[in-house]
Amino acid sequence: MEVIDNREITDRVFILRLRLTESVLKPEPGQFYLLRPDTGYDPLLGRPFSAFRWNSDWIEFLIRKTGRGTALLSKFRPGDHIRLLGPLGRTFPSPSPHKTPVLLAGGIGMASVYSLLLNRKGDYIFIYGAKSAPELLLTEDIKPLVRELYLCTDDGSMGFQGNVIEFFKKFVKEAPSHSIVVYACGPREMTEPLMKLLRTYNIEGYISLEERMACGLGACMGCAKHTKRGMKRVCMEGPVFNIEEL
Amino acid sequence: MNLEVKIGNMIMKNPVTTASGTFGYGREYTEFVDLNLLGAVTVKGISLEPREGNPPPRIYETPCGMINSIGLQNVGLKNFIDEKLPYLKGFDTRIIVNILGNTIDEYCELSSALDGKVDAIELNVSCPNVKKGGVFFSSHNEMLRTLIKEVRATIKRSTLIVKLSPASADIVIQARICEEVGIEAVSMINTIPAMAIDIHTRRPRLSNITGGLSGPAIRPIGVRMVWETHRAINIPIIAMGGIVTAEDAIEYILAGATAIAIGTANFVNPTVTLDIIEGIRKYMLIHDVDDINSLIGGLIC
Repeated sequence: MEVIDNREITDRVFILRLRLTESVLKPEPGQFYLLRPDTGYDPLLGRPFSAFRWNSDWIEFLIRKTGRGTALLSKFRPGDHIRLLGPLGRTFPSPSPHKTPVLLAGGIGMASVYSLLLNRKGDYIFIYGAKSAPELLLTEDIKPLVRELYLCTDDGSMGFQGNVIEFFKKFVKEAPSHSIVVYACGPREMTEPLMKLLRTYNIEGYISLEERMACGLGACMGCAKHTKRGMKRVCMEGPVFNIEEL
Repeated sequence: MNLEVKIGNMIMKNPVTTASGTFGYGREYTEFVDLNLLGAVTVKGISLEPREGNPPPRIYETPCGMINSIGLQNVGLKNFIDEKLPYLKGFDTRIIVNILGNTIDEYCELSSALDGKVDAIELNVSCPNVKKGGVFFSSHNEMLRTLIKEVRATIKRSTLIVKLSPASADIVIQARICEEVGIEAVSMINTIPAMAIDIHTRRPRLSNITGGLSGPAIRPIGVRMVWETHRAINIPIIAMGGIVTAEDAIEYILAGATAIAIGTANFVNPTVTLDIIEGIRKYMLIHDVDDINSLIGGLIC
């Protein structure tokens, strides 16, 4: 796919926009694509990224530079080509009208839950955390789309001082558990304790998980995750899991 | 133009198959690949009972390659025969089933159960022998000989292939043992034992600590081993190890391979098998080759 735009929004995060042709299906919120620079065999494998924003002409990915693959993708310029495989995986289920949807995003996990916010109507509460204020991305874009937005930073440079989990612990004490449904995406340090918390309070929840991945098609078994029903593939049975399964 | 090759009793319409463990049970790739066009489909390794495999992380990318320690996760013999095999039988292609066990008896039970149901059985001998303290079958020539001899005796109809490990003491000697025992073909090379470390956390990149290296990084090693083996034996070789393009496939054929298997490249490009078949045709056209068999071992040196 052709790169239309590649914009740095912080020194480590960029938004990559690719032209959508008719051959590529549009995603559902929570789904992902494998992106591979067509520049030889190092890096070798595609990298999985959640669909962030899209319309009928283009699709965007919100990407943080973490290694060789993402660093290379950050250097792509309009007119360059990137191989795109997808959409892959399961989506976030649409929020039920009887429950308040609460979105929990940690760091770059924002990309995945943001796609739900943009594409599914709901009276959202958004809890968004990062290490420090500059890493809280696009908060002005989020604000008009949600009923309440809570920001958390580890260093206290913006909003609540502490991580998303610490904030959410306080939050659930005040919200009746049967009236909310949680959609979350973030680093393992966030999703692991979140699962426990949601179980403790008996809250319905869907978490998008991350794992190293090769084929994206369920063949290599590289992205397996332990669940109640044995090993499941993040690329096929995920990336969005109902916490009941985990 | 003839692309047909023969591995034991199995005739493949072209020399291209898939490497075990990289193509699932075939079905996973049908959105991208018409299985009817492949010379054969080699499915993921099957054990007697289902296996859950290793905990994550299971894969790690390295320069031009990847290390995996999936831990042979598979659905087990019964589920394979009941659920996976009938679907594959619906295609006009050859079916090669890779099998693995912890004991010689397990291998024999698997091979007798699959004999005649599939076109070929490929033995993964890079498995620990639990009755000999977990030593790999492939690490001792005599242990390997005993294993393949016993499995040989259980098979009447399907073609028997032994998949050789580059980590064995001497892959050429092991290929000779296969020929002596009456194995119809060898496939090589399995992944190369490897590891990677996260220097910031000082922890291994894989939960299993070590894994098998695959991808273009290992291709020159595979080509060398195929060439050395081809000179030493008269049974056909199915070559694998880092094939990504038709040129890579031709290189292996010139080194002595009768057929080639595509592995890690399926993860890079899901239609790669078909691209390679097309590329082989183009090469033959350009170089005026009528029969693929005339290229086998065609290295001039």
